[in-house]
Amino acid sequence: MSAWWVVLRKELTDAFRDRRMVFVALVVMPLAVPLILAAMSSLGMKRQVEQLEGTLELPVIGAGHAPNLIAWLVTQDVKVLPAPTDPAAAVRRQEHDVILRIAPDFAEDWQAGRPAGLEIIFDSSRPLQSGTTVARLRALLGGYDQQVGTLRLIARGVSPTVAQPLRVGERDVATPESGFDLAQQMLPYLLLLLAFIGGMQLAVDATAGERERQSLEPLLATPASREAIISGKILATAAFTLLSLLVTLVMYRVAFMLMPAKHLDASLSVAPDALARLLLVVLPIVLLGASVLTALAAFARSHREAQSYLPLLIFVPMLPTLYLMVAPVKTQAWMLAVPFLGQNQLILRVLRSEPVASQEWALSLGSGLALVALAWWLAARLYHRERLAASG
Amino acid sequence: MIEVQSVQKHFSARGALVRAVDGVSFVARDGEITGLLGPNGAGKTTTLRMLYTLMQPDSGRVLVDGIDAAARPDDVRRRLGVLPDARGLYKRLTARENVAYFGRLQGLDESTISTRTAALVAALGMEEFIDRRTEGFSQGQRTKTAIARALVHDPRNVLLDEPTNGLDVMTTRAMRSFLRELRAEGRCVLFSSHVMQEVAALCDRVVVIAHGRVVAQGAPEELRAQTGRASLEDAFVQVIGSEEGLFL
Repeated sequence: MSAWWVVLRKELTDAFRDRRMVFVALVVMPLAVPLILAAMSSLGMKRQVEQLEGTLELPVIGAGHAPNLIAWLVTQDVKVLPAPTDPAAAVRRQEHDVILRIAPDFAEDWQAGRPAGLEIIFDSSRPLQSGTTVARLRALLGGYDQQVGTLRLIARGVSPTVAQPLRVGERDVATPESGFDLAQQMLPYLLLLLAFIGGMQLAVDATAGERERQSLEPLLATPASREAIISGKILATAAFTLLSLLVTLVMYRVAFMLMPAKHLDASLSVAPDALARLLLVVLPIVLLGASVLTALAAFARSHREAQSYLPLLIFVPMLPTLYLMVAPVKTQAWMLAVPFLGQNQLILRVLRSEPVASQEWALSLGSGLALVALAWWLAARLYHRERLAASG
Repeated sequence: MIEVQSVQKHFSARGALVRAVDGVSFVARDGEITGLLGPNGAGKTTTLRMLYTLMQPDSGRVLVDGIDAAARPDDVRRRLGVLPDARGLYKRLTARENVAYFGRLQGLDESTISTRTAALVAALGMEEFIDRRTEGFSQGQRTKTAIARALVHDPRNVLLDEPTNGLDVMTTRAMRSFLRELRAEGRCVLFSSHVMQEVAALCDRVVVIAHGRVVAQGAPEELRAQTGRASLEDAFVQVIGSEEGLFL
C-alpha cells in the first residue's frame, strides 16, 4: 500500500470521527447555501411581482395642471400621492421609487398642440430596487402618449400609421434556463467559495493541528516521504470537500423541489447531469484549495495563525465575480484558463444548459491542475523545512 | 549500530548563533543500551533529531547500520524505531489504530501488523486500553502506545528521547525491563536522559553531553575510574562541571 493512500485513509477516518467537522461540512453548509439562494431568489421574484402587479404609488407634482392624465393614470391602478417638498431628496432617501412632475405650462402646451412637459424623477443607481417601477411608469406614459397621438391624427383625417414608419418585433433567443437574477449570480461564487475553502478545517487540523498535538514529529520519523504525506493529506481534504459539495448541491436541488413554484426561478434548479458536470468544473478549485490550505497550515506557526488567513482566502473566489460585475464582457476563450474566472463562466454555462466543447474542458481543467501542481510543490517545500516539526 | 561522527548543528535565534551540537561523536552498538546523558539544553534532542533525519547536520556524518543518513534518509528511518520528545497520539483513533497506522507507513502488511501489535501489547502490558480511543489516556498509557507504534516494524535500532519522562514508579520499572528485553534481543538501544540514576541503572555505555559537546564516555565503571570519584553521581557532576540540570 502506498504511503499516500495510508495517510489519505487515516485522515478521512479521523475526520469522520470529528462530529463537529462532519456536522459543519455535511449538515450546516448543505443547508445554509440552498437557504440563502432560495431566500434571495424568492424575495427577488416576489418583489418583482409586486412591483409589476401591485398598485403603483406615485407622488405627483402639479397634479392640477393635467387632470385628464391623472384620471387616466388612476384607471391604470396608479395611486396618486401628494408630492413631498423636496422631491429629489425624497427619491435619494428612498422614500419613493419615482416621482412625476407635471410642468406648470402643461395645459397651455397641450391646448396648442405642442409637446407638453413631464419629468420623471428617479435614481438610476438603484436599478434593482426601483428599476421595475420606473419602467412601469415609462410604459404607462408611453401608452397614453401613443393613445392621444393616434386620436389626434384620426381627428385630423390622417392615418395613424403615417406616424409609425417602423414596426419592431422582438424575438428572445434565451433558453428557458438563461433567465438571470441575483441569486444566479451568487451561485457560482458560493460554489467556488465552498470548493476553495470548504476543506479548511480538515487541512489545518491535518497539518497545524498535527504539529500542535505533537504527532507530526513521529510521523516524519517514519520512512514515508514528505511528498507522500502531503499528497495523502491534500487528497483527503479534497475528497472531504467534494463530498460536502455533493451534499450541498443535492440539498439545493431538494430545497428547490420543495418550494412553491410561484416564487421560483426555474433556471436555478440543478438537474442530476448538471450536478456531475458542476463537480467536474470545480474539481481543480477543490484540489487547489486543499493544496493552498495545506501549504498555509505548514507555513503558519499555529492553528490560530492558519485560521487568521481565512478572510483573505474568502476574497480570492470573489475576484472574478467582481471583475464580471464591473466589466461584464463576452465569454472569451482565454477566460477559461484563468482560475476562478473560468470556473465561474463554466458554472453559468452548465446552469444555462449551454454546451461546453471538449477543448474548453481541457483548457479549464488543464490550467487549473497546473496551478494545483504549483501549490502542491509549495506545500512540499514547506514540509521539508526543519522548522516544521522541530519547533520545540 | 549507530555511528555519529563529529556532528555539528547550529541555529540562529534572533540574530545570535546557537551551537546546539558542536562536534559530537559516539558509537551505539548492537546488543547494548547506550545512554545519552546531559542537563536540559545540552543538545541531546537535537542530536537524536539528526539521527532520525528530521534535521540535517551542518557538518559531520551519521551512519545507521553503515548507511549514510544524509544519502539515504528513507532507508535509515526504516531501520530505526523512534520515540521522539513529541509523542502525540491521534485522539480520535484507538491505540491499536494508532499503532496500525504507523505499521502501514512502514510498509507492513495487515497480518504482520496484527502479530507485531499482539507481541507489543503483551510486552508493554497494554491489554486494558489497546482498543480504546486515546483521548484521555494517562501519561503512561500514552507513552506505551507511542513506544508500540515506534517499534511496530521490529527495528534493529531503537531511539528513545527521555522515555521515562513523566512516568510513575511502576511504569518506569516496566519500561526499564522492556528496554533490557530489547537489548537481550540483540538490538541497538540508544536513549537520552537527564536523570543520572536511570542511566546508571540501565546503560552499558554512557555518553555525557554538555553544551553541545561530548565531555565523557564509557561504561559507568570507566567513568568512575576516569574521574576518580567514588560515586557515579559525583563523576557526572565532575565532567559536566556543575550540578545544574542533573535532576528534575
